[in-house]
Formats: sequence, structure tokens, C-alpha cells
Amino acid sequence: MEFVIETTNLTKKYGSLVAVDKLDLKVKADTIHGFLGPNGAGKTTTLKILVGLLKLDGGSVSVLGQDIGWDKPDVRSRIGYMPELPKLPKHLKGRELLDIYGRMYGMAKEAREKQVPKLLDMVGLRERGNDLIGTYSKGMQQRLGMAQALLNEPELVILDEPGLGLDPVGMVEVRDLMKEMAKEGVTVFLSSHLLHEVEQVCTHVTIINKGVEVASGTLKQISAKVRGPVTIEAEVDKLSKTVIKKVKELSFVTDVSEDGKKLLVEVKTRDDVRSEVSQAITAGGGIVIDMNLKGESLEDIFMDLLAKRKKGRL
Amino acid sequence: MSVSHASWTAKFLAVVRYEILWNIRKKKFLGMLVVAFAISTLFLAGGHIVSAITGEPVEPNPDFVIGSNVGLVGFVFFLFAIVTAMNIISAEFESGTIVPLLAKPVSRTTVFFGKLFAAFLTLLATYCFLMIYMTIGGFVVYGPQNNLHLVPLSLLGALFSTLIWISIVLLFGTLSRSSLIAALGALGVWLGTTIIGQILGMLAGQGWILTYIPGVGNVGYVGGPPSGPGVGTAVSTGTDSIGPNLINYILHHSWKVTYYKIDIGAPTPGQVWIKLYSEPLSTVILTSIAVALIYFIVFVAISWYVFRRAQVTE
Repeated sequence: MEFVIETTNLTKKYGSLVAVDKLDLKVKADTIHGFLGPNGAGKTTTLKILVGLLKLDGGSVSVLGQDIGWDKPDVRSRIGYMPELPKLPKHLKGRELLDIYGRMYGMAKEAREKQVPKLLDMVGLRERGNDLIGTYSKGMQQRLGMAQALLNEPELVILDEPGLGLDPVGMVEVRDLMKEMAKEGVTVFLSSHLLHEVEQVCTHVTIINKGVEVASGTLKQISAKVRGPVTIEAEVDKLSKTVIKKVKELSFVTDVSEDGKKLLVEVKTRDDVRSEVSQAITAGGGIVIDMNLKGESLEDIFMDLLAKRKKGRL
Repeated sequence: MSVSHASWTAKFLAVVRYEILWNIRKKKFLGMLVVAFAISTLFLAGGHIVSAITGEPVEPNPDFVIGSNVGLVGFVFFLFAIVTAMNIISAEFESGTIVPLLAKPVSRTTVFFGKLFAAFLTLLATYCFLMIYMTIGGFVVYGPQNNLHLVPLSLLGALFSTLIWISIVLLFGTLSRSSLIAALGALGVWLGTTIIGQILGMLAGQGWILTYIPGVGNVGYVGGPPSGPGVGTAVSTGTDSIGPNLINYILHHSWKVTYYKIDIGAPTPGQVWIKLYSEPLSTVILTSIAVALIYFIVFVAISWYVFRRAQVTE
């Protein structure tokens, strides 16, 4: 199975408002796929359709090779889902909740007895497992929400804003966990508005705005689609005309300009050519102090895409 | 993977466990339990209270337990229905816990009926405790009791009576997704049938309509009119009185129930009551059971249909 999630013309309306508009979403197996978009873009709506909480108004959805239909629970036994700021029943204890959800997944007693303490340990709630969820902080509920999403050792994990409510340490732990899951062959589909989070863990990204797909692919592909030439910004000591001449001689360089001690090198390739540029600077007698790709962060790409979309250029 | 295709029963029991833990840890439910025990204790202590006031000794009463319907009366049924059924669907939506619950591989039908069954079990356990308490208390306070073998009929009747109110609360709760509306809607029905219906029935002579509505029903008399010389024994025809009527039928199967209306323009006190019609007690019981079953099935079916189609926008 190449794609674990595949939607065709997925459409969802709330009255006259089109929340998701003919979305063609493809999530490859064994990837960490980011799902980005501003508030109200249709991310949570799409995720809820994938897990059977909302009905689609048009198109089709296949998850793990199965048509999701309506109220067909079987496919959900292979999925783990963590809702945005998960609301978990406050009258249950953390350990009880995981045990009951485990029963709903059809896990045998031995499997639950092994998996529940392991997950509580993993999310740092081992000591609080026998306390009522109502006494947990938001961050602890978020972590329990993550634990319940991994209970059934799913093939696909769908996470809706997993970083919300977590402290910086918790966020790093969640990121590491996602990377670990991907290594073990679990596909992670991650909706987030934290671009930094997506940038650090995702191999693939889909960006939507107002229910419409704006871009999809690897970060590199999306960047190429949006930004055109890449600029390398180098801070150089002993910057001279010779240095500029040497850099200009590189075949992929389209323009070179000076900005004080900084050298701005515009290149036409999407490959990382910083080492070649660095060698040219050294050959011209300059000393490279620092070198960066300018405007390559996901945040820049995201903002560019939305701006271009607004202007009707995408 | 430790997840197997669990049997429907295992998933159903997981939902039952989830709901029972919710029920027994609710402050509302615990409060109601205290109220019910307080009412039962008042029933038990009634003789001693009167004795303290009048100075006369407490007389043995071998029919106390059966005659008092072990302390369960219409308003108690209504309150127990409110506290056990209010959360079945509406509170799940209100608290947002419906999202992780319905994302599990359990069909909505299983969730719905599992929760309903849990409400039934909670009531069964509660009423059993109350009945044991009243039976032992009755024995201690009023001496040896007659017809204790009929106590299970009180239990059966009490469950029937409460299930009607549960179906009403469930219907309001499922349609509105609001626990407040569920409680207020059911309270409106209770007030309408219990107070307004009774007054209109007595004055207009149209009390027979109440026989076909859940609740206290119409009031008829055996052996004479409601007041005056040769006053009769009151018999309520509604779904709230299935238990006492079943016991009365076993003890006095030849009873005929006669209905009256008030003659507002009567010149003398002896002519206040106008006889309307009579029917055997067996007809009263069969009618109330049929009414109970029909309303319960219809209200539960509508609630189930609405819940199955409900989209989770929370």
C-alpha cells in the first residue's frame, strides 16, 4: 500500500460554508506527514472525517486501503487518533481509561497489562496513573491523549496539534516519539500550526487554506514551487572583488551582491551548494564566518504560499 | 500487534464499564442516593415520629413493606432517571469526551446500548440496596412482614417506571446535546403529567388521557369514591405505579377500579363525585405495561437513530 490516506475531491460543508473543498490528499506510508494551515483552514474537519466523526459531503476517503464509510469501526482498530486538546473523561483514572480503551480495541488482558504501564511510563504519568483525570493538568491530559492514541500499536497515527499545552521539554519528547514511531514503520499524520514543529519532524507536508490544498510534497518540493531562486547569505571576512569574481564563476550562481560584510549569492539550483560557495570564497582569499540559506524556513514558505494564494498566483 | 478483532460482547462490556464508573462517581448520583435513603428512612421512621407526637406506641404493621412499595415513589423514579440518564449522550457531547470515545473501533450502536444498559444496571443495584434496606428496616420497626415474596415485583415495577423516564431524558438529551435541556424537558413532562394533568383530569373528567401518557396516570378508586362515607382505596393507573398494581393484583385480583370527576356545581357534599366508568385492575396493569413498553421503545429508537447519524462537531 503506497498511500495510507487517500482522499479524492473530499468536500465538507457546514451549511453554506465550505470547510473542505475538493481536497485530494495523499499520505505515503512510513512518513511523517505534516498538515498545515491557518486557523479555520479545514485541518481538524479533515482529520475528523478520517476517523469517522464527521460525514463527508462529497468525494471519497480511503484509510489504510479501506473506504471509511459511516460508522464502520473496523478500520479504526488500526488507527490511533489524538484530538486537539483531548477531552478525556474526568471521572476515570488514567490507568482505567487506557484499560477501558484497550478493551474497546479488543486487546487481550495480557496485552493491556503490558501496554498500559509502558505507555504511562513513556508519557511520564506512571506515578499519576491511579489518580482521576480530573486532577490532571492540561499538559498531563495532553500526554495521556498521546498515550491513548498509541495504545493499539497503530499502523497510522493521526495527531491534531500535539504540541498544544505542552512545555518545551514535552514538545521535544513528542517530536522524538514521532521520529521513533516513523522508524518503526508507523505513519504519522500531524496537523499543526506550529511550523517549527512540523519543520523539525516532517518529511512531507500538505498545506491547506480555506479548505483548499495550496501545496503538497516534500519541504524541498514545496520550497521550489514557491520561492524560485534560493539566496545564500554568507558573512565573509576579507571580502574583496576577487572573492565576488570567484563566486560569480560558479555555474549555478545567477547573481552576487554585497551588503557590508555580507555576501548575498542567488543560485538557480535547489541543491545545497553552500560548500561549493564556501570553497569559491576561500579561493578568492575571503574567510567564511557564517553561511545560511535565506528564507528557507517553513514559516517563510508558508507565508509566501498564503500570500501568493491571496493574489491568485497559485 | 496485540489488537485482535474483539467480539461485540467485549466491546459492549467495555462501554458498560466506562459508563458505570461515570455513574457511580457522579456527585449528582451520590447525592440522589443519599436523598433516596433519606426518603426510605422517613418512611421507616414515620410510625415512631407519630408515636412521639401522639404518645401512642408504634403498632406492628405486617403490611408495611409491601404497602409502602418499599419507599419508591414517582418522584424518586424521575430523579434517578435524571441522574443516571442525563450523561448518557448529552454530557459526552458537552464535555467533548465523545471525540476520543467515537474514534475507537466501537460502533455507535454498541456505545448507545452499552450506556443504556449501564444505566439499567446502576438502577438495578441501587434499587436492590434500597429494597433490602427497607425490608430489614420494616422488619425491625414494624415486626414480621407479610408477602415479602412479592418484593421482587416492586423491584420489577420500579425498574419499568424508571426506564420510561430514562427514555424521556435520553430523547431530550440526544436531540439537544444539552444535559440542562434534557433535565428541564423531562421535568416539564413530569410536571405536566403529575400536577396539571391530575387537576384537569379531576375537574374536566378527562383523566383517562393520562392513562396513555407516562407518569402517575389517572387515579381511580376501589370500593367507594375518593371522599365521603365509604371512602375507596386509590389506585393510580400510570407507568409509575406498575409495581404496586402488580402486587395489588396478586393480592386482590378481583378489584374493579372506578373513576370519578368532581361535580363543581353539586348542592350537597354527598353529591360531589360523579362516577365516570369502571375497569378491572388487570386492564389497568396491562394498559400501563403496554404504554410503558411503547413509549420506551419509541423514545429509545428515536434517540438511537439520532445518535447514529450525529456528527461530532465539538
